[in-house]
Amino acid sequence: MIQETKLVSRRFKIPKVYQLETALKYEAYDTIKESLSQSPKRITNLVVESGLRGKGGGGAPAGTKWQLMPDDDPRPSYLVVNCDESEPGTFKDRQIISRDPHLLLEGMILSSYAIGANHAYIYIRGEYQSFEAILQGAIDEAYEASYLGKDILGSGFDLDVTIHRGAGAYICGEKSALLESMEGKRGHPRLKPKTKEPEWYFDNPTLVNNVETIASVPYIVKNGADAYRQYGTECSPGTLLFAMSGHVNRPGVYEVAFGTSMLEYINHFGGGMRGDKKLKALIPGGSSCPVLTADEVSKATLDYETLQAMGSALGTGGMIVMDEDTDMVEALKNLLEFYHDESCGQCTPCREGTGWSDKLVGKILSGKGTDKDIDKLLSLADLMNGKTICVFAPAVSGVIRSFIEKFRDEFVAKEQK
Amino acid sequence: MSLVTIRVDDRELEASDGALLIEVLLQNDIEIPHFCYHEALGADGNCRMCMVGIEGQKRPQIACDTFVKEGMQVSTKSPTIRAVQQEILELELINHPIDCPTCDQAGECKLQDYYMEYGLYDSHINPADKVKHHKHIDLGSSVMLDQERCVLCARCTRFTTDITKTNELGIIGRGDEARVSTMPNKKLDNPYAMNVVDLCPVGALTSKDFRFKQRSWFLSTSSSICHGCATGCNIYIDHNCEKYKDATIYRFRPRINNEVNGHFICDTGRLSYKNLQTNRQREILSEGKVIAEEKAIKQYKKMIEEHSNICILVDANCYNEELEAIVQYAQTIDATLLSPLACYEDETFADEWLRSSQRVANAKGVENLGIKTDIPDGYTTDLLINFNHPKPELIASKKKIEFQSHKEREAYLVFPLAVFSESSGTVTNRDNLVQFCEKAICSNEPVPTVLEWIKKLG
Amino acid sequence: MSFSFSDENILKIDKLKERYPSPKALTLPLLWMVQEQEGYISLDAVEVIATHTTRPAMEIYKTATFYTMFKLQPIGEYHIQLCKTLSCMLCGKTEILEEIKSTLGIEVGETTKDGRFTLSQVECLGSCSTAPMMQINTKNYENLTSKKIEQILKELS
Repeated sequence: MIQETKLVSRRFKIPKVYQLETALKYEAYDTIKESLSQSPKRITNLVVESGLRGKGGGGAPAGTKWQLMPDDDPRPSYLVVNCDESEPGTFKDRQIISRDPHLLLEGMILSSYAIGANHAYIYIRGEYQSFEAILQGAIDEAYEASYLGKDILGSGFDLDVTIHRGAGAYICGEKSALLESMEGKRGHPRLKPKTKEPEWYFDNPTLVNNVETIASVPYIVKNGADAYRQYGTECSPGTLLFAMSGHVNRPGVYEVAFGTSMLEYINHFGGGMRGDKKLKALIPGGSSCPVLTADEVSKATLDYETLQAMGSALGTGGMIVMDEDTDMVEALKNLLEFYHDESCGQCTPCREGTGWSDKLVGKILSGKGTDKDIDKLLSLADLMNGKTICVFAPAVSGVIRSFIEKFRDEFVAKEQK
Repeated sequence: MSLVTIRVDDRELEASDGALLIEVLLQNDIEIPHFCYHEALGADGNCRMCMVGIEGQKRPQIACDTFVKEGMQVSTKSPTIRAVQQEILELELINHPIDCPTCDQAGECKLQDYYMEYGLYDSHINPADKVKHHKHIDLGSSVMLDQERCVLCARCTRFTTDITKTNELGIIGRGDEARVSTMPNKKLDNPYAMNVVDLCPVGALTSKDFRFKQRSWFLSTSSSICHGCATGCNIYIDHNCEKYKDATIYRFRPRINNEVNGHFICDTGRLSYKNLQTNRQREILSEGKVIAEEKAIKQYKKMIEEHSNICILVDANCYNEELEAIVQYAQTIDATLLSPLACYEDETFADEWLRSSQRVANAKGVENLGIKTDIPDGYTTDLLINFNHPKPELIASKKKIEFQSHKEREAYLVFPLAVFSESSGTVTNRDNLVQFCEKAICSNEPVPTVLEWIKKLG
Repeated sequence: MSFSFSDENILKIDKLKERYPSPKALTLPLLWMVQEQEGYISLDAVEVIATHTTRPAMEIYKTATFYTMFKLQPIGEYHIQLCKTLSCMLCGKTEILEEIKSTLGIEVGETTKDGRFTLSQVECLGSCSTAPMMQINTKNYENLTSKKIEQILKELS
């Protein structure tokens, strides 16, 4: 019988655990005093050994990113926590900041100490303004109790945490665009460097990590890398706050270990399909992951490697469930409108491709499409793959391709006779 | 910087290690389509047009963000690259208005050029689906903006941000709503604003001054030097001689010279072509009345004989060859030769870039020939012969003979004079660089040059 | 029509400057501050922000136009932002939209004549398990039904 594995969401259901007084009763900041008295490398090594993978959608090993931060650099280092959570179907990070912000702050202290940062920021999407009060409240309490600010718990380590609010741009979840935004500019992703290097905030070495990634650090530091690895799979250790929405009875966020069967997850936590309808399709990891058919869902497990092998991706683990009555052309149109709205517009294939593919699907949806349009959509998908500054366009490419390849008959059916 | 060898298609090239690939390719005359890269502005990596194949890299790479390494193998013409170029071009054109019939850029438009070279596909676009933006926006400084034609290469915005640092232009909005604009209450307003017209690879930014005046393919181009100040910016003179009309200059454009003006010229210099064609002196006048050349020459020679204290004044805009001839001529008629330079000074015009406070083209030429540039105290003359100097009133004189290009002054005898675009010669700029000006204009009834007059009068 | 920050905000700005390596980083925070103080961001405010952040006004302006939440023109007192992305669409957003439109008598992008409500459709608000949902100013209204819409709009009218 599958159950939640609550490594990050352990305290979520405790009333008012966002208040320090309550949080402290449940081991909040337990790891701080000891960690700050030991070498910062200890934390980095634990994170590396644990195999913790970034939970913002990319899934890259977090420890490897941390190791790109310089050891000996006169410039100040920064930590930026990515709470731009705008991937359709994803709503897990908001749970952390609104229910257990002290967990995030604990993770930020540990991470900042590990990379030598004395300033950390939480880039929070503008639409999450209603959670800021709770988050800022937690930060203020932490300052008062000497978990933040100068000389944390007498350790000699200083850390300032500042909330930095975004203003409605999905692309600012891309880490280089996020830093552009934090520098006060338009959220244009940067050209990728030729060698492995850290990110740069005003030309200072910077680490950008997702909220949940940082919130996973306290568990790893407290219990060790092996404890984390006992959950999940070899390639995808640990857990993820998987989110589920769409045509299920109990949409929501449920934390499970990687490797869990997708179908079991939907049936057990989601309570199965609404109205007893049949499952038709599912987007596994936020809209930017290629769609899966019901048959593929039955074979899928919730981990990076299995979904990648199936030609899709785990992404943020935000599952969007679609039942048999769903019009897949309409669904694709909805997603392409999203990408059309959110393209930053910097480079040609994405700027023009997202607009054009949106219009093409609209044409098909309205019954005016032809086979040529379907083929054009596929060639546009090709064109947007691998020729742009960032991975936004390749994501759109995967979406278009998967919808048309797997549900082509619905597109053809709408063609003008 | 050590040199490395790379291979591009079937050629071997030498380049500095770490040099920008697109620069290396362009410097070696290898054609790479591109919009956003510009030698003076650097790369922006947004147009994606300059894609090339790099051996060892799975995907095509943009040449403007690739740095040369020893043994790099580049392919610019493979079927993959050709396909990518065509596809990206198709996307550039998908929202591009079909304005060619009325667009001034036609004939010198990168989209047209690249379509002919890399496109030639069957279009799938439906004009009704195109994104719409504002057209014919007067930005100020004689620059017109058509937002629909823009390919968002950001050259113009980078020009006002990085080069002039005046920050008038920016890309606003997002996605395919992104467009170039000024702030709603501001205009494009800096002394080099019109350079964005040259920088713009398409017809988004065009010259209001040139708007609808000529098709670019009718224009002939001559290389010359701007005469607006002592910097001597290199220019192209674009002109055309339409049937029954006189040859007309339609515009100046900057000519690249990395030693003098780089890629740019100032707006004042750019628009100074108008001076060459307005208010021109074309007739020979004797005491205000038109007379025949033969008669005028006779009168002139008589004047020379009758006067002993003669002063020749010469404009520092004259070519070195003209100055030399005047020096000789002054000796033969035993005249004092002067070219006062102080009157050309205008501190308000000077800046730290291309604009010199000395508003004349060949002051150095005057100095190098040893021509006196200041007027002795209390100097007077009986006969002043003025070769186009703007301030002959500086010299007290009894009688005046003017050789003038423009209807500026009255005199006992007035002879018309050609302007610099109507003959060829050299000028020496503020850094002592001698630069050549091609003859650009051949009028139906040409006005004699200084050299021609001296021959006739000598 | 000129703009100035309130005294309270000036103090906030001074404190905020200490938290960043460059005053340029204050661009987004100050745009928000202006919008919260005045309801929208005027060109005068853009100039003031430019001074505080030591940046040209155009940099501030073009940044402001990039982000959908910054309003450069005044809008209604209540900004109804209805989520239109996939999960909400799958769970009945279309009907909710029609309900709002017919109740208020406006189309998407319009403001009611009394200046009370402005209606927008926005992309995923990160509340997919409570779809369909909307945000009015900063408050979330989730698990929407026609009845709830009626109630909410009545309360705010």
